Amino acid sequence: MQSERWTIGLGLFFVSATVLTLVVWIPTDIETGVIETFRRRTTIGDAMAPTLAAAAILVISMIMVVFAVLRARKNGGPPEPGPDRQGYKFLLLIAVPMVLGLVLMVYTGPLVVEAINAFGGEVGTYRQLKAAFPYKYLGYTMGGFVMVFGVIRVVENKITHSAAWVAALAVLALVLLYDVPFDNLLLPPNGDF
Amino acid sequence: MGILDHIWLGIVAVFTADPVFSLGSIPISITVTMVFFGFVLGVIVGATPGLGGPVAMAISLPILISIFGFEASALLPVLGFLVGIMKGSTIGGAVPAILFNTPGTPDSLMTTLDGYPMAQKGKAGKALRIAHFSSVSGDTFSDIVLITAAPSLAILVERFLDFPEKAALIILSLAFIASVVGSNVWKGLLSAMLGIFCAYIGTGEDGYPRLSLGTDGLANGLPLVSAVLGVLILGAIFEGLETMWREIKEKAAITTSEMSGDNKLHFSDIKTILPFIGVSAVIGTVVGALPGIGSTLAATLGYASGKKMHKGDPNFGEGAPEGVAATEAANSSVQGANLIPVLSLGIPGNVSAVFIILAMESIGGFNPGPQVFRLIPDQINSEMVIAFGLFTAMIFANGLNWTLGGIFMRSMGIMIRIPKQRLLPVILLLTLTSIYVQQTNMFAVYVTLMFGVIGYLMRKLDMSVLPFVIAFILANNLEEAMRQAFAVTGANPWFLFSSPVAIGFMLLALVVVIFFSRKRKIPGKQVFPESPMAS
Repeated sequence: MQSERWTIGLGLFFVSATVLTLVVWIPTDIETGVIETFRRRTTIGDAMAPTLAAAAILVISMIMVVFAVLRARKNGGPPEPGPDRQGYKFLLLIAVPMVLGLVLMVYTGPLVVEAINAFGGEVGTYRQLKAAFPYKYLGYTMGGFVMVFGVIRVVENKITHSAAWVAALAVLALVLLYDVPFDNLLLPPNGDF
Repeated sequence: MGILDHIWLGIVAVFTADPVFSLGSIPISITVTMVFFGFVLGVIVGATPGLGGPVAMAISLPILISIFGFEASALLPVLGFLVGIMKGSTIGGAVPAILFNTPGTPDSLMTTLDGYPMAQKGKAGKALRIAHFSSVSGDTFSDIVLITAAPSLAILVERFLDFPEKAALIILSLAFIASVVGSNVWKGLLSAMLGIFCAYIGTGEDGYPRLSLGTDGLANGLPLVSAVLGVLILGAIFEGLETMWREIKEKAAITTSEMSGDNKLHFSDIKTILPFIGVSAVIGTVVGALPGIGSTLAATLGYASGKKMHKGDPNFGEGAPEGVAATEAANSSVQGANLIPVLSLGIPGNVSAVFIILAMESIGGFNPGPQVFRLIPDQINSEMVIAFGLFTAMIFANGLNWTLGGIFMRSMGIMIRIPKQRLLPVILLLTLTSIYVQQTNMFAVYVTLMFGVIGYLMRKLDMSVLPFVIAFILANNLEEAMRQAFAVTGANPWFLFSSPVAIGFMLLALVVVIFFSRKRKIPGKQVFPESPMAS
């Protein structure tokens, strides 16, 4: 079975997931049925399309598993390549700068404003300052820099000045591209405030 | 108003509407300007290994929409820019393939086989000129086929297909795309069905948005642009970064070959390569008109048929100019023909077409499909005017390719020096910023990242992403066609089999799936490779 291990695993995962979807999710999270009759007019309900799609996924997954098992028994062969330990390690490593970058992007601006207010600055709320220089750039520049620099650091496995310059210039270029020429555009995360 | 009136209005809309500056006494319209800038960007990204037209299209779309807004007048400048990128990137990919033995786009892989040996013999200039001439010839041929075939096909579809047949046609297209792309038909179908299912989350006709788990975030559905860019672009970026992370090694030194002797393109050269261009252009156009099959297969088939036709020295693979011509004509002639299913059926066939549809859907005012070419008595069909405007923009971009393309192309060798491991993280931030600028909420960014991880895992599991994206785009059209078909057939549950044409489409879908599933493909080796990062 090793020669088709991922195909079989994928198929079994979707068989279980679609059974749950058909039995639990669709019946409880859609308010109209597969077919609706109202004042003698019969129409397709909201549940029809997702039910058909889920049923198709179920059938396809089962066929995929059966064919994969038959092939594995008949042909054998080396283990099927797929996600491996190195791949998971990479995802975890890259998640660090990504998550850190996003957290900084969302919270730097409001935290700085709160800190200024706490020290008696009385500058107002971040919501009031989300379009004002320099507050509107705080989160994006900080988070964007960490994200780009961190991802380069993970891939190159070393910290270099040039990577920091690339990250800083990239963030600057994106600010110049998206924010400076357009009054109606909001950089992340300013639209959420 | 007749067809000719619409053609004229399309040409006028491209060349005279909203002039932005004047060249002497000639006013230059905004659409012409945007086609030019898109074309220059396309040549640059095409010549940059690791990038490609679709990436540039993806990240420029939100900026374009921000500049031009959501009015109908935005359509031609935005589509013109995207068409410019599409055209420019077709010639750019050959540059690193010839000069550095590194294909700029996957469909230029075969160009390295003869282009690089030519460069090593001091004939890089000639190889680039041949690649340019062949590429633009193939592209022009493909556009002519598009302009003549798309309206005719649309008229046929409009005349003969009702809702049940249209629903069956969408199912046939999805079955075809899922079957031919990727290494396993069942995984392709699974990918398409997942795309359809995801598109139904948070939508529906009832007051309560179905499958939204009672959350506000899902109540408006998963954003189309997040799903498409996440799976196509971020998934490819994550995979590319992982590959580089695994293979941390010193980059091989880039060596350039000096040019020597005659490097010009003479009439005798053109006479020699023309038969190869002709055959490859036909192959590329036929392949391009079929949804889901990419330019890489066209290039492979073009090269193989050129090899059969070729006699004399040097052999294919040893620096034959005919090899470069056969490959470049084939992969470039896919571009125009790819828009045939988009404009006549509303079905995107490849990644570039996905972004053209995305632009049309984002701006509104143009719904690709057979109704685009419907003549309305005594009225102007504005969609038909835009379609002919799009054709005009494509012809203009071809003109740029013929006149300036060669010069731009030969100056792009420097793009190979951009390190990919630094470019991809910047593209990552650029994509996330583009998403935010368009959707203005962090939820869309998180959804994009989630789809990015899904796209990455799909690639690791050898599951094609193109059927997912195309199915996501077509899901609502399919449901709408099904609802209408059910209604017009008097609530007949067998509406998909209510007419001979619909039955034919459904049977054909079954035949396609069975045919392609019979032959076991090699895992990881896609028969018709797709490239999310390239066209």
